[in-house]
Formats: sequence, C-alpha cells, structure tokens
Amino acid sequence: MRARGRATIGLVAGGLVAAPVLIGIAYAGLAAVGLAGVGRAGAGGGRVFRVLGDPESWEAVWWSVRTAAAATAIAAVAAVGVGLAFRGQARGHRAAHLLSVLPLPIPHLVAAAAGVLLLSQSGVLARLAYAVGLINGPAQMPLVVGDPAGVGFVLTLAWKEFPFLALVTFSLLATRGPAMEEAARTLGATPRQTFRRVTMPMLSRGLLPAIIVVFIVIAGSYEAGALLSGSHPQPLPVLTYERYLDVDLSRRGDAYALTLLGLVIGVTAVALHEWARAWSDDGG
Amino acid sequence: MGVSRANAASRAVLLAALTVSAGTPFVVLGVTSAAGSWFFPAVWPASWTGDAWALLAGSLGSATWASTAIATSTAALSCLVGWPTGRAIAALSGWRRHLAAALAFLPVAAPAIAVGIGAQYFFLRVGLAGTWAGVVLAHAIPASGLASLYFLSVFLTVDLRMEDEARSLGAGPWLVLARVTVPALRRQVAEAAALGFLVSWSQVPLTLLVGGGTVRTLPIQVFSYLHAGEERYAAAGALLLVVPPMLVLGAAVFATGRTEVVTA
Amino acid sequence: MPWDSVVARAHATTVTWLMWRGDPSVNAYVDSWVAPRLKYEYNITLRTVDAEGPAILNALVVEREAGHTPGSADLLWINGETFANLRQEGLLFGPWAGRLPNAAYVDSASPIVARDFEQRPNGYESPWGRVQFALIYDMARTPHPPRTVAELRQWILAHPGRFTYDQSFTGMTFLKTLMYALEGGVAPFEGGFHEAVYDSASARLFSWLRAVGPALWHDGRDYPRDVAALQRMFANDEVDFAMSDNQNDVVTKVRQGILPATARPLLLRDGTIANAHYVGIAFNAPNPAGAMVVANVLLSPAAQLEKQEPAVWDDGTVLAIGKLPAEWRARFEALGRDPHALSPDSLAKYARPEVNPRYQERLEADWRRLVRDAQP
Repeated sequence: MRARGRATIGLVAGGLVAAPVLIGIAYAGLAAVGLAGVGRAGAGGGRVFRVLGDPESWEAVWWSVRTAAAATAIAAVAAVGVGLAFRGQARGHRAAHLLSVLPLPIPHLVAAAAGVLLLSQSGVLARLAYAVGLINGPAQMPLVVGDPAGVGFVLTLAWKEFPFLALVTFSLLATRGPAMEEAARTLGATPRQTFRRVTMPMLSRGLLPAIIVVFIVIAGSYEAGALLSGSHPQPLPVLTYERYLDVDLSRRGDAYALTLLGLVIGVTAVALHEWARAWSDDGG
Repeated sequence: MGVSRANAASRAVLLAALTVSAGTPFVVLGVTSAAGSWFFPAVWPASWTGDAWALLAGSLGSATWASTAIATSTAALSCLVGWPTGRAIAALSGWRRHLAAALAFLPVAAPAIAVGIGAQYFFLRVGLAGTWAGVVLAHAIPASGLASLYFLSVFLTVDLRMEDEARSLGAGPWLVLARVTVPALRRQVAEAAALGFLVSWSQVPLTLLVGGGTVRTLPIQVFSYLHAGEERYAAAGALLLVVPPMLVLGAAVFATGRTEVVTA
Repeated sequence: MPWDSVVARAHATTVTWLMWRGDPSVNAYVDSWVAPRLKYEYNITLRTVDAEGPAILNALVVEREAGHTPGSADLLWINGETFANLRQEGLLFGPWAGRLPNAAYVDSASPIVARDFEQRPNGYESPWGRVQFALIYDMARTPHPPRTVAELRQWILAHPGRFTYDQSFTGMTFLKTLMYALEGGVAPFEGGFHEAVYDSASARLFSWLRAVGPALWHDGRDYPRDVAALQRMFANDEVDFAMSDNQNDVVTKVRQGILPATARPLLLRDGTIANAHYVGIAFNAPNPAGAMVVANVLLSPAAQLEKQEPAVWDDGTVLAIGKLPAEWRARFEALGRDPHALSPDSLAKYARPEVNPRYQERLEADWRRLVRDAQP
C-alpha cells in the first residue's frame, strides 16, 4: 500500500516538473494545426505538412544536429585527453584541473560574444595574423563566423562545453577509475590492456549521459546561433524565432510547427539520456 | 625515462594551452570593454575610454542587480521543487523511476526558445508576463528539472539511516528534515542552488519571451548591446556575467581541492 | 480630455516605449537627453524596450490573443509596414496625434511627413523624424565611388567580395532603391500595390542581384544580420560599403569613433528613399496619457533641435521651421552643418518617396525565399 502511494508521488512529482513543457507541447501542437495561437485559420494539418515539406526546416534541423554533434565530439575528446594527461595530485595536475573547470559558468551568450571578437574575419586572430604577415586583409582570413558550415559555432561551443565534460572526466577517473584498474591489474592485465579494456570503456559509459546533455544544450542554443551562424542555413532555434516574428501573421503558425520539431529532438534526447544513465550505472 | 620526459613536455604544452584557452576570452573582453576606436588591423586600441564601466552606475548596474535577484530567487525555488521531486523519484524503482526521471529531464532538454514560445501565452494570460515573478517562474522551469535530477542522484547515493535514528528518538518529519537531513546535505543543497542560479543567470530566450523586454537582466542587456554594435558595453556586461560566478567556482575548487563540484 | 488633464494624468507615471535599440546614437539621445527631461519636467519614468517592427507587432498580437489588458507597452516606434499591419489588426490606440500642442509645428505640407508609405497617419501616429537613405564609403579606400546603380554594378563586379547589404530593414530599403532605379523611377509603384508592377520589377531586381551575387561578400551566400553588423564589417575593412537609413548617420558615427574618420555618405543619382518615422500608442497601453506627453516632448522644438545636432543623432526634424516662434527658428537656422554632410540641395534632388508597404512586405518575403535561402 505504502509502496504504491510512493510510486504515485514520484511519478506525479516528475510530471509536475515537466508540466510547463508538456502544456507547451500541447499548445504548440494545437497552434500548429490551427486550433490555437496567432494567425489561426481553423483546423487543418496543412501547416504542419507545409513546414515538414519545406527543405529549409530540415536544413535547420540538420545544421543544429550536425554542429551540436561536432562540438560535443571535440569537447569530449579534449576532456578525455586532458583528464588522462592529468590524473595525479601534483601541483601541475591540480592547476590543470582548475584551468579546465574554471570557464564552466560562462554563459553561451558570453562565449559567443568572445567568439565573434576573436574569430571573425577582422577579429583579434585576424589582426595578429595580419601583424605577422600571414594575411594581407580580412578576406584572406578563413571564414568561420557567419559561415554556412558553422565552424566558429562549433569551435566556440566546444570550448564552452569542454569544462563540464572535463569535470565529469576528472571525477570518473578519481572515483571509479582506480578500483577497477587495480582489479584488472591484479588479474594480470598489462597497462595497455587495462587502458583499452577497463579505463576507456569506463570513461565512455560514464561520460555518455553528460555527452547527451551537452549535445542537447548546444542544439537548443538560441543566442550562440543568433550571433555565430550564417544567414543560411539557420540553426533551428533561430529559424523558429524568425518565423515567430514574421510580419505575415499566417506564417506565425509555422513557428509552432518548428517548435514541435525542436521538442521532438528534446524528447528523443531525454529517452537516450535515460537509457544512457541506466547503462552507465550498470557499468559502474 | 625518455618516455616520461616526453610526457612531462607534452603535459607542459597542454598546461600552457589550457591557460591560453581559459584566459584569452577574458583578455579580449577586457580590452574591448575599455577600447576607444579599434579598427582592423590595429592589434591594440588606439585610444581608451572608461565609459562602458561608467554604466555600472546605470544600465549595467541595474541589470546586474535584476539578474542577481532573479537568479537567487530561481535558485531557491528550484531547490524547493527539486528536493522533494528528486527524493520522491529516488523512492521509485524500475520503469517508474526511468519515466519520472525522464519527465524531470524534459524541461532541461527542451530548447528554451520552444519552451518560451509554448509558455508565453499562458504567462500573458495570468498576467505574469513582463514581471520579475514571471521571469523567475519561467527560469524555474529548466532549473527545477535540473535540480530534481541532481537531488535524484543525491538521494540515490546518500545514506539516510540517520533519519530513522532521529525518528526513533521521537522527532517529527519536519524536525528531522530541518535538524538532520538538510544540515547533513548542506554541500549538496549549495551545489543545487548554484546550478539553479547559473541556469537563470545565463538565460536569454525565456527572459526575452516571458520578460517581454521589460525585465532587463544582464544577458538581455548584453544581447541588446551586441545587436546595436555597441561592443564596448557588451564586453563590459559580458565580464560582469562571468567574473563573479567564476570567482565563486574557483574558490570552491580551491577550498575543497575536489573537482566533483557538479555532478549533473 | 483637455491637454492639461492629460498632463496631470501622466504625472509621476512610467511610460514603456518599444523601440529599435540598434543604434548607439539613438540610444544615447533617448537615454541621456529625453529620459532625464521627462523625469525633470513631468516626473515621468521612461522605460525603453528593445523591439523593432515585427517584434512590436508580435508582442501586441500575442497580448491581444491572451486577453492581456492593460498591456505592457505604451509608446511604439514605428512606420511603414509596421504601421499598416498594426492599423489593419486594430492594434493602435487613437486618434490622438492631432491633440498634441506641438503638432501645430509639424511640417504637414511635406509629403514625406504627411504620408507614411502612402498611408495617412490619421492621428494614429505622430511624426518623430525624417531621414534619407545613403550608402557609406571610405574616401581613403575608395576615392572614386560609384554614383549610379549602373556604376555600382560595375564596381561590385570589379571588386569581388567587397560589397554586401544587411538582411534587416536597412538592406530592404537598399533593395527598394534598386527596384525603383531598375524600373526607371518611382512612378509605376505609386498609388497602391499593383501585382503586375511588383512582378516585373521584382523579377528585374532579382536578376540584377543574381548577376552580382557571386561578386558579393561571401559570394552572396551570406548576409549580415543587421545594419550594425554591416557597419562593423565596413569599419574593419571587411567590405568597402555600408549603408544607413539616415544620410547623416555617418557624420555622427565618425564623431563617435564608431566609423573611421574618412567615412563619407554617398547618394546614388538614380534616387534614394526618403521617409519619416513615427510614434504610435498601443491599443492596450496601460498609460496612454503618459505616452502622449512623451510624444509631445519628442515633437517639441527643443527635442527636435537636439536630435538634429550632428554630434547627437543628426535625425531630420519633422517640424516646419517657418511655423516656429522666432527664437526657435533662429536656433534651427543656426544649427551647425557638418562639412562632410550631404548638401540639402542634393538630398532634395535625389529624394524618392516610400510606396505602399505591401511592396516591402512582398520584397522581404521573396528575397528570403529566392535569394537568401535559395543557396545550394
């Protein structure tokens, strides 16, 4: 009896925390089929199909997914590399930990602003390159801010999310690492085998939930996209907001359909994250 | 021997790279915040001005105050929601726990612009749009989800048998909470509050949509300056956004000598 | 309600003003000249909110849908298509503009002030300033700039990667200027929206843009997000031209150190668009009386004179100097002209009016679809 009551409370509590988003999904869903929201024109799935049939929507989704994946991968590789290089407690190692983790509280907005100042074709790097004679003018500087590929976006967000993944890596190596590695060695594994069979799998399992969090945070970032992306294709959050502000009120509903698309990506990530957490705990 | 020397050298290079990586943005923002005319290809500004920092007495100062108040309230609110939610979810098992945890994670994973567009109508409806309270509530949507997940991991790992002991001595549930559980988890509560504070402190889209521009937090002010091409002001605001939380984090890492400050 | 009671009602209130905050000169004028005076003279607290045309329309539409009354905004900085949309949706309070005491000085004989994109304001908006579109170039970098649309095309093709326009309203004004020129003048566009005229003119415009596209900045694959971004690129030698809706913008920004000292304005001889900008009041404004007092202050000779100072904003007055009391007339006539500013004669000679806002709306949507988003 008591257990059943507890089961209900936990689910209700989770549901309450999710409620604002669930209501938002329902509202966006109604608005997307024309039953609510600005510019509603009566029920009909036409708008959803129009948005789903518009290559621009998918270009935006692909841009966001692709850049988020690249930035996450770079940040994860860097975090694991730094984590493995500085496993000790010596002064230099502690300094490396501090330097890695320190930029953790930097908002996306600030990272993006710094990214523009540093990486644009007339930014600080371009000026240094000009000063030492590497380039003759801004046009010769590789284009990374406002470029269709989103190189500057990827670099900036990889830099921004590196501290979080580094933090998790340090913590995994300090807590789960030693015991498992010790056990492997007593069973006769060579250092190389221990690294390949124990340390790396332990890290990848342990890091996966954090990696999914980082991916979804980057894919959903509005302000960094607005400052660093090009005008085409646009990141999904930026395209969504542009549609939301369209002067043609009948296009406003497209924003709700795009909102749903963003939420679908979010829900997928939630499912993956939950699965990864379970898997990660099993492995730990 | 040769290997370890090579390792030491590569570590030194890596350490230098980390220093540059952590420091460069601050140098660039710091110089920009005080630069007068600074056109390509000048590596260094031709003139300096303190007018951006003078805004501490004006727009940047009031935005810092607004952000501090809103982020502190969000932190408190998200702990109040996250603690019981995390604890209730921790009491579950099997698919129920997975489902409840997934629900709590949803507000964290949903793109803020999507959450904001979905929520704007309701905040307007109940008269909370454009108010500080409304912005706090909006920020609390993702912050509470994060705090719930955080407390879930806390309650899955900590040993709460001391509660039973206190109860066996006749203490009521509120007394146990106030005198035993919360004091024992002080560090975890502080970390959860720090997470909630940061979610709110760096939020842009939800403030934009629910605050309607009338609630001027520091990120909104910085975003607005960037939009106007007022880089000097934006850089000063950006530094205000990062320096205080970094000092707190640095102090925490330094004081504890630990690195697992956050384990979301 | 007599004006005195409007003022009495506005005393010690807060006025929220949705305005484009995308220009440092404008922001400085509003924050450090207008706001303190309102506080001092009427004890009105001015709160500005960053929002331009589409965002203003969106804010009011969503508020109406949610039944949010009173709303959150009082005064709105608008013109053209935003005014048309707000009027059409019934989102403006009014008529009120004729009741402002300072409305008596307005240059109502000027077609640019009296017609907002061919629409009569009818008291639903009060004029605030008038400007004329100009390109910006650097005389040190480009000693012989192009003077006509045809020359501009040759210049772009001869200097690949050194020209672009922004995707916000200034860039759209530039495209409209081109569209007039390619169609041989503004005449065919006047007197309402004509589908056939738009079709042929826009086809010509887009083929012009396609021809120069590969020679634009980033091969025409990307466009700066707004005019501030374009001006930043110009100042830092990424491109050789910037633009502004205000012909005097360059003068002010050189003085402020935002643009290099050798930057100059440039009028294309095919004509450039002149228009006025206005303030309106939201249908659900919590403080319409306060908004009217602010609009009246904005229209006062003192405020209009300050606004026209080259060191401040250099935004043209909407007042008829001849209607002003002698003292103010003298001060306007004594207003310093920056030696780098364009002469009033050439400005008047090349000025072209705005046309029906539908042209702009269609052009913007089609440009996004056919130019910006039509990339491989």
